[in-house]
Amino acid sequence: MTEIQSGGTAIDEMAPSTEGMNGSLLSVRDLQTHFFSREGVVKAVDGVSFDIKPGEILGIAGESGCGKSVTSQSILRILPKNGKIVGGEILFQNEDRLIDLATEDADGRVLRDIRGKDIAMIFQEPMSAFSPVHTVGDQIIETIRIHQEVSKEEAHDQAIEMLRRVGMPNPARNIDEYTFNLSGGMRQRAMVALSLSCRPKLLIADEPTTAVDVTIQAQMLELLRDIQADLGMAIIMITHDLGVIAELTDRVMIMYLGKEVEHGTVEDVFHRPQHPYTRGLLASIPKMEPGRVEIEPIEGVVPNPYAMPSGCKFHTRCPDFIEGVCERHEPPLTAVARGHEVSCFLYGGREALE
Amino acid sequence: MLIYILRRLLVMIPVTILISIIGFIIIQAPPGDFVSSYIAGLEAQGDIIEPELIDSLRARYGLGEPIYVQYFKWVSSFIEGDLGYSMIYREPVVDIIAQRLPSSFTISLLSLILVFVIGIPIGILSATKQYSLADYSFTVVGFLGVATPNFLLALVGLWLLFKWTGTVAIGLYSPEMQNAPFGLAKFLDLVGHIWLPALIVGTAGTAELIRTMRANLLDELPKQYVTVARARGVKPTKLLYKYPLRIAINPVISTVGWLLPVLVEGEVLVSLVLGLPTIAPVLLDSLMQQDMFLATSIIMILGILTLVGTLLSDILLAIVDPRIRGAV
Ligand SMILES: Nc1ncnc2c1ncn2[C@@H]1O[C@H](COP(=O)(O)OP(=O)(O)OP(=O)(O)O)[C@@H](O)[C@H]1O
Ligand code: SF4
Ligand SMILES: [Mg+2]
Repeated sequence: MTEIQSGGTAIDEMAPSTEGMNGSLLSVRDLQTHFFSREGVVKAVDGVSFDIKPGEILGIAGESGCGKSVTSQSILRILPKNGKIVGGEILFQNEDRLIDLATEDADGRVLRDIRGKDIAMIFQEPMSAFSPVHTVGDQIIETIRIHQEVSKEEAHDQAIEMLRRVGMPNPARNIDEYTFNLSGGMRQRAMVALSLSCRPKLLIADEPTTAVDVTIQAQMLELLRDIQADLGMAIIMITHDLGVIAELTDRVMIMYLGKEVEHGTVEDVFHRPQHPYTRGLLASIPKMEPGRVEIEPIEGVVPNPYAMPSGCKFHTRCPDFIEGVCERHEPPLTAVARGHEVSCFLYGGREALE
Repeated sequence: MLIYILRRLLVMIPVTILISIIGFIIIQAPPGDFVSSYIAGLEAQGDIIEPELIDSLRARYGLGEPIYVQYFKWVSSFIEGDLGYSMIYREPVVDIIAQRLPSSFTISLLSLILVFVIGIPIGILSATKQYSLADYSFTVVGFLGVATPNFLLALVGLWLLFKWTGTVAIGLYSPEMQNAPFGLAKFLDLVGHIWLPALIVGTAGTAELIRTMRANLLDELPKQYVTVARARGVKPTKLLYKYPLRIAINPVISTVGWLLPVLVEGEVLVSLVLGLPTIAPVLLDSLMQQDMFLATSIIMILGILTLVGTLLSDILLAIVDPRIRGAV
C-alpha cells in the first residue's frame, strides 16, 4: 500500500523488473500524466495503478474528465504534444521481454512495433477512425503489413478473413469500400476489424459504445465478447456506462479526477461499493441495463482541473467528509477485502497521519 | 466519374452564356450603337471609311434589329472566330490575342508552378512546426507577400537585378534576341527573363497558399484517423503524408481554377512595369480607350479559360478524393 502512495515525480531510470508481474500482461504503477499549458498544469492522471492478466477484461469508469482516455493514451504513448508522463511505470510483458512503455521513445521502434500488433485500440467514433480518402481494406492491409512480413495478397486475404470474423456481410466487397459508404453498424465492425487485424494481446476500447444507438451498442458488446472468447485477448473497457461494465468485465476500476478511488471485482464494486463516490455513481442509476444507464451527475460540480482540491479530491462533494482530515491529506489505497481496494479515510489510513 | 464530368460540363453551359451576355453588355456600354462609335473611332484616327463597310458591319451585327438578334449575331461571329477589329492597334483582335496570349499564359503557368513548389512545402513546415521560429517567420513573410503591391515588387526586383548584374530586365527577351527565330538560344534567353515576373506575379498566391496549406493541415492533424493510424504503428513520416496531407491538399487542388485568372490580373501592373508583351497591358489600354471589341474578347477568353481551369481542377479533385466521386 505504502509503495503505491510514494508517488515519484521523476521517471524511474532503472530497468524494469519482472518481479511482481504475477503473470500480468500489463502492469500500470503509479502512473502520472500531466498536461502543460500556458494556463497551468493539469494533473490528468495522478497516481493510477492496475494490473491486467492475459485474457482478462478490466473496466475503467468515472465521470467525464477523470482521466480515462489519458490513461489509455499513456499506455500506447499517443498523448497530445503537451501531455507528458511525469512518473510511474507501464510494464508490458511482451513474450519474454518486460518493457516499460512509460520510458520508451514515444514514436520509436519499440512502441511502433507494439502498437497495433500487441496492444490495439478502438476509439469512440467509428466514422472518423478511418481516413475518408482510403478504403477500409487499404488501412487494414497497411496495419498487417507493418507488423507481419507478408505479401500484399496474403495481407489482403487476412484482411478479408478478419472482416468476415467481425460479421461484415460481404467481406470481399466491403474491403474496397470507403467508410462513408458503410452503415453505422458496419463501420463499427470495420473499426473492430482494423484494431484486431494483428490479433493483439490487449485491446483498449475507449468508449466504443458511446456514439452509437442502442441496437448497434448491443451488437458491439456481443461482438467484443465473441471475439474475446475467440482470440482470447485482454480488454480494457473504458466507459461512462456502468451497465456495460457490469455486463462485460471481470474487474473494474473507478476513477475520479485522475485518481483511482476504488477497484475490485464487478461483484465487489457493484454490490459492496465502499467509496462514497462509487456509491454516488451507483445510487444515481435506477436500474442496471446496458445502453440505458449513463452515469448521472452526483451532487456538486467537478472541480476545475487547474485548481484541484487539496487532500482527498472528492472532499468538495463528499457526503461523508471528515473535517480536518479529508481536506488536508490524501487517503491511501486500503484493502477492504481481497482484491478490493478503496482510497478513503473511512476505511483506514488515518493512523498513519499521526 | 464519366457522369461527374458530363454534369460538370453541363453546368458550364449556362455560365458560358452568362459570360457572353456580360461581354455583350460591355460592347453596348459606350453611348451610341457600337458600330457608330467604332467607326467614329476609326475616323478620328484619320481613316477613310467606305459606306459599304459601314453597311456590311451594320448588317453583320444586326443593328436596328431587336437586341436579342444583335446578341445572337455577335455571338455567332465570335464563335466563328471573328472577334472584330481593334481600333487602337489597327489589327484584327484575333491577331493581337494570338501574339499576346502565349506569353501571358507562360508567365501565369510558371507562376502557378512556383506558387505550388514554394507554397506547399512551406505550408507543411509551418503546420508541423506550429509556433516555431520558422512558422512565425514564414507567417510574417507571408503577410508582407500579400500586402506588398506587385508593381512595387517589380520595381524592387528591377532595381536589385540592375544593382547586381547590371542588366535591365525589361521585356521577355534581350534586345538582340527580340527578332531571332525561336530556338534553343532564344528559349534560354526567355528563361533568363521570365523567372522574375513569374516570381513577382506569384508572391501573393504563394503567401495565400502557405496560409491555406498550413490551416488545412492544422485542421487535419488532430483528427481521429491520424491518432488511430498512429495507434496502429504507422511511422511518423507516413503519418504525415499518407493521411492528413493527402486530405489537406485537396482544397489546394481546387484553387488551381481560380488562381489562373488571379495571376493574369496580378500580371497587369508587373507587365506594365517590366514592359512585358503580355495580354494584360492590352486589356488595360483597350478599356481606357473604349476599344470594346478588344476588351470584350480578352475578358471572354479569360472567362472561358477560368471555366476550363475550374473544370480541370474539379476533375483532378474527383480523381484524388473518393468522397467527391461518391457524392455524384
Ligand atoms: N491536450 C490536453 N491539454 C490539456 N488538458 C487535457 C488535454 N487532454 C485532456 N486534458 C485534460 O485531462 C483530463 C482528463 O481527460 P480525459 O480525456 O482523460 O477524460 P475522460 O475521463 O476520458 O473523459 P470523457 O469521459 O469525457 O472521455 C481533463 O481534465 C482534460 O481537460
Ligand atoms: S476520504 Fe473523506 S472526503 Fe474523501 S471520499 Fe473518503 S470520506 Fe469522502
Ligand atoms: Mg475519454
